[in-house]
Amino acid sequence: MRREQPRSPCLTDVEPDRISCLPGHVIDQVLSHLSIREAVRTSVLSSKWRYKWATLPILVFDTHCVSVASQDHMIIKNKLLRIIDHVLLLHSGPINKFKLSHRDLIGVTDIDRWTLHLCRKSIKEFVLEIWKGQRYKIHSCLFSCQSLTHLELFNCWLKPPSTFQGFKNLKSLDLQHVTLAQDVFENLISSCPLLERLTLMNFDGFTNLNIDAPNLLFFDIGGKFEDISFENTFQLAVVSIGLYLNFEINQSRLHGGSSNLLKFFVHLPHVQRLEVQSYFLKYLAVGVVPIKLPRPCIDLSYLSIRINFNDLKEISASLCLLRSSPNLQELEILARPEEQTVLLTHTYCWEDVYFSCPVMQLRYVKIDGISGIKPELDFINFLLLHSPVLERMTVKPVANVGLELMKELLRFRRASGQAEIIYLEPS
Amino acid sequence: MSDAAMAVVKPEMKSYIWLQTVDGSIQQVEEEVAMFCPMICQEVLQTGMGSSKNYAISLPQRVNPAILGLILDYCRFHQVPGHSNKERKTFDEKFIRMDTKKLCELTSAADSLQLKPLVDLTSRALARIIEGKTPEEIRETFHLPDDLTEEEKLEPLRNITDDPRIRLLNRLYARKRKELKERKKLKDVEVEEEPKDERSVEDLLSFINGADGDMKGTRTNKNKKKNRRRKDHAKDLSSKNENDKDLNPLPSAYHNVYFDNALEASASKHSRMQNLPAISFSPKFEVIDGDVDDDLDPAMKEELDREVEDFARRLNSDWPERMQILSLGQDRRLVPPISMNSNGSTHLYTALAGNSISKVSGS
Repeated sequence: MRREQPRSPCLTDVEPDRISCLPGHVIDQVLSHLSIREAVRTSVLSSKWRYKWATLPILVFDTHCVSVASQDHMIIKNKLLRIIDHVLLLHSGPINKFKLSHRDLIGVTDIDRWTLHLCRKSIKEFVLEIWKGQRYKIHSCLFSCQSLTHLELFNCWLKPPSTFQGFKNLKSLDLQHVTLAQDVFENLISSCPLLERLTLMNFDGFTNLNIDAPNLLFFDIGGKFEDISFENTFQLAVVSIGLYLNFEINQSRLHGGSSNLLKFFVHLPHVQRLEVQSYFLKYLAVGVVPIKLPRPCIDLSYLSIRINFNDLKEISASLCLLRSSPNLQELEILARPEEQTVLLTHTYCWEDVYFSCPVMQLRYVKIDGISGIKPELDFINFLLLHSPVLERMTVKPVANVGLELMKELLRFRRASGQAEIIYLEPS
Repeated sequence: MSDAAMAVVKPEMKSYIWLQTVDGSIQQVEEEVAMFCPMICQEVLQTGMGSSKNYAISLPQRVNPAILGLILDYCRFHQVPGHSNKERKTFDEKFIRMDTKKLCELTSAADSLQLKPLVDLTSRALARIIEGKTPEEIRETFHLPDDLTEEEKLEPLRNITDDPRIRLLNRLYARKRKELKERKKLKDVEVEEEPKDERSVEDLLSFINGADGDMKGTRTNKNKKKNRRRKDHAKDLSSKNENDKDLNPLPSAYHNVYFDNALEASASKHSRMQNLPAISFSPKFEVIDGDVDDDLDPAMKEELDREVEDFARRLNSDWPERMQILSLGQDRRLVPPISMNSNGSTHLYTALAGNSISKVSGS
């Protein structure tokens, strides 16, 4: 049944106020879509609205909440401090989410005080971003807050007390630019049984990552580490790993030739999306690279690899992955330019490398940053020959590549009749 | 032909849910559309209602027929799984365009039907309306009564509210408070800084009770001002003080003031101090602002303090002595009859006696 267009309101003197009688949780929802400033300002509207803001479950203090456009950081800092003190003191009821992320705020002991207050209020999501200054040492009271489900810290130093038993309800952990000791890290991960999402970026203080998290679904790290291994992570679906350290392979690290690749995938049977970034492929290629993984990654549908085409071992590792992913649909290849173009000293035989080629289910391929050297072209050739359902391949070379690359691409035989090869101009 | 057959078959294949709104009207709605609302869905599954007209599901009070129509439009679109996210977003944006009153009603109704996506949509729309508006505009839009006092508006959230009008009110309020504070301060100050009085107590009292012309020469605007200031917050002073308002000296009026204050004999020390005549000192014609200091050096101040305390002691002395003092002015017509021995006029008697003398019952 069609509704007629709503008539324009006729304003009478006794027009009723309809918004104030909405239920409290609805008003909370409306106010939570406003900035904290606008929400608190509603307190001057009328007597009913005086404390409607005070039950806001979400408190976000960021750069927008202090309107003073002053260059003096002390003024802004003091104003922000007063505002947060005021709001926290006048607030009533539980606080679900607290976020403090201000450009000018330097880690201060006031944050300790607020942290304690929030822990008493059964906070669920705690986000703290210290934009400037040294690592802020998190107050120990946070580590006894068992109501936390999401913890996000930026530029902090975590040193839990010896009585720390873990966060029993923590589902999501996001640590960026943090410092924590090796044992602290391991204890933290293993003592959060419900952990589902873990993000770690630019950390220091620990170099061995041993992830023991039975409920982990999402794992995203980028940093410098020496070793990574998973334990009981059978539900892990999305993995993105970036090793920002170009390590030198020394023979003693080979652990008797065991393959990192094998070790890595042992506990990742159900991974669906995998991103191998920076130098992580180099790490995976350490040891004897298998031809194929013992157990195929049947759920893997998206793969992104940053690869150094001058390193034969990395090419082998990536081929191993391709052979072991029968259901892979989307592939992204990012070429990693090396300073010293260590060209392959020995020309390899195609058959030696590209053997046991499976039929791949690839549909979309994206190739970025290539410069037209032979290994790259061979790889593309290989992909085109063995992807009968390929729909689109995008190739974007580095600058100053010349026409040779394009000529070669034109020549390649394609297994798929629908395949489009799109050549993108280098940016 | 087949179309016609389909037209006949269709209604039977479709099943309907019967809904009753608070005004009593009943309507039937396609099942899949109605079941999109969790509240209706729950009712159907748990109680089995809604299958026929007699067993229509009663909708919550906040859902009137017009709003129900809107909600069903929303459900009808969104329950179709085939729409893309972009299509849904476009529909939502168009759907939400309505006047504020209807939007509030829709929010309320959607909440009572537990239709979370619609509540989310409408609350975002309401937030967009509130955003960026001044309090006056918001009140106008939602017809909110402006029933907060100015002070309430300025209370502790001053740091957060940024409205220029509120800031102006802040400033005015702060200035007024400052004024009041300073007047109070000066009131306390002048109590101590009474001008030095050389005369003896008897002289003073005779002055008070005696000739009225004495005051003429000695009055200055300063005392005038003091009276005025005192008048502001010493509310127990009678309205007779209003004579003092203008700056020009009026001896008789001033004299009257003195009399009245003496007769009232209020307990406060400073009004007793009012009874002291003014010493002539350099007249200063100041403004009312209240940030003026008496031009006395510290030594003189101490003298004055001592004199004041002395006088206060004397006035606080035993009753007979006091009565003796006061009885000197019995023939004065402004002096109400005070008899020492009688039981009459107990009001004044007891008032004068203060706490030290027990009350004498009136006759």
